[in-house]
Amino acid sequence: MSQTRINIKGTSDGLIINIGSGDWAGLLAELAGRLEQTASFFKGGRVALRVGPRQLTRHQLENIGNLLQRHQMSLWAVLAESDETRQVATSLGLETALAPAHPADNSPPARPTVERNGEASPEEANAIVMRRTLRSGQTVRHSGHVVVIGDVNPGAEIIAGGDVVVWGRLRGTVHAGAGGDDGALVCALVLNPTQLRIGRHIARSPGSEKRQHVVPEIAFVQDDQIVAERWGVK
Amino acid sequence: MSAIIITITSGKGGVGKTTATANISAALAMQGKRVVAIDADIGLRNLDVVMGLENRIVYDLVHVVEGACRPRQAMIKDKRLTGLYLIPAAQSRDKSAVSPQDMIDVCEKLRPDFDFIFIDSPAGIEQGFKNAIAPADQVLIITTPEVSAVRDADRIIGLIEADEKGPARLIINRLRPDMIQRGDMLDTTDVIEVLAIDLLGVVPDDESIIVATNRGVPAVMENNSQAGQAFRNIAGRLLGQDIPLMEMEAPSSWLRRFSRLVRRT
Repeated sequence: MSQTRINIKGTSDGLIINIGSGDWAGLLAELAGRLEQTASFFKGGRVALRVGPRQLTRHQLENIGNLLQRHQMSLWAVLAESDETRQVATSLGLETALAPAHPADNSPPARPTVERNGEASPEEANAIVMRRTLRSGQTVRHSGHVVVIGDVNPGAEIIAGGDVVVWGRLRGTVHAGAGGDDGALVCALVLNPTQLRIGRHIARSPGSEKRQHVVPEIAFVQDDQIVAERWGVK
Repeated sequence: MSAIIITITSGKGGVGKTTATANISAALAMQGKRVVAIDADIGLRNLDVVMGLENRIVYDLVHVVEGACRPRQAMIKDKRLTGLYLIPAAQSRDKSAVSPQDMIDVCEKLRPDFDFIFIDSPAGIEQGFKNAIAPADQVLIITTPEVSAVRDADRIIGLIEADEKGPARLIINRLRPDMIQRGDMLDTTDVIEVLAIDLLGVVPDDESIIVATNRGVPAVMENNSQAGQAFRNIAGRLLGQDIPLMEMEAPSSWLRRFSRLVRRT
């Protein structure tokens, strides 16, 4: 087939890659080729995938996510006409619409809203709220803040451009300020991550000993290292 | 009759999927239910061995899928328990011989004739797992109280949720009360805290399982097997009976045994 089936365009929402019809393996190869030629130009960008009526499996989405990641781009949204594909995308922690602040949660009745105060940073308009347990193997990748109402289990991963707030036990891997923002925060009711990264800093959990008193903690970068502080009313 | 299709899976291998499938199926048959157990572990079949029906295999699941025989011809009738049947896996093929749609078709053909259809899933999250999950109405996750098994179970629960098969229920296998008392093993609460799904039962580590498995007699048929009792309880709960979790304590002092007796009355 000679006509271009893959179309990449840049928008204020990041890159949008349109995928046309045809067999998946061929399309993937074509996309890989296109990225090879232009990767340095797109590097570091976030990508929304527009797939039309095509149905994608979790595996296929993961493949394409990995392909983009090899070129240092991150997949953050999948725009699909098929419900199944949208569900797969949601389960991988991806958005399904371009509109920001759309919680990647498929239980609409009780969608939490975020009250903002006066000094909201632009990123704050771009937070996602996930109201479920993030389980091993599940990754949430988002350019803004990530709020999880539930646990983040060992083996799960959150990569956020902004802050990460976990209303539950945080035991997986977290990277806040993934764009290099050392000012990002991570807070959790139980802060016991496998690995904690803020901006360019990495810290491992001090150990997995059982603590009698569970105190919410907040982690941030101070004097070039990550410190965790108990949350207390002053 | 319209069967409930239940898939038993774990992610990690060797935690007791096949043992659980054989025992729960047998326990339900003992309660007078019509049950068929399907071994979906194509290429590594062993449910037939555990159920002691290996020497009677003529047709297998792949034959059914390929239309070489009818489902009824591949069903091996257990001679000890009326109402218990097995559809064995093929040994000479691999997982790609069957598709998720094939599994759905086979199960739908069997559904009118049974109360329960159990599917013994292979380990892993690949094709074989997808085949096993496809027809399921309910999913039982089996894990042992080990960090690695719990981690894999967590991954599987995530996949099942994504597949909208949930909510899955949990069986914790091979619990050792003595190790828990010493603080060397995760206890039930630790496991539930991570996995956050309903607990269907806890099965103690029990030598009688190994003996029973080697002899091809499900442990639920032995009256003095603790694990067998646990599996009978699980079967009862699947039937909606309200059975409390078994008290599991390490071999203990006379006093504690006495207090346990008192509590039971």
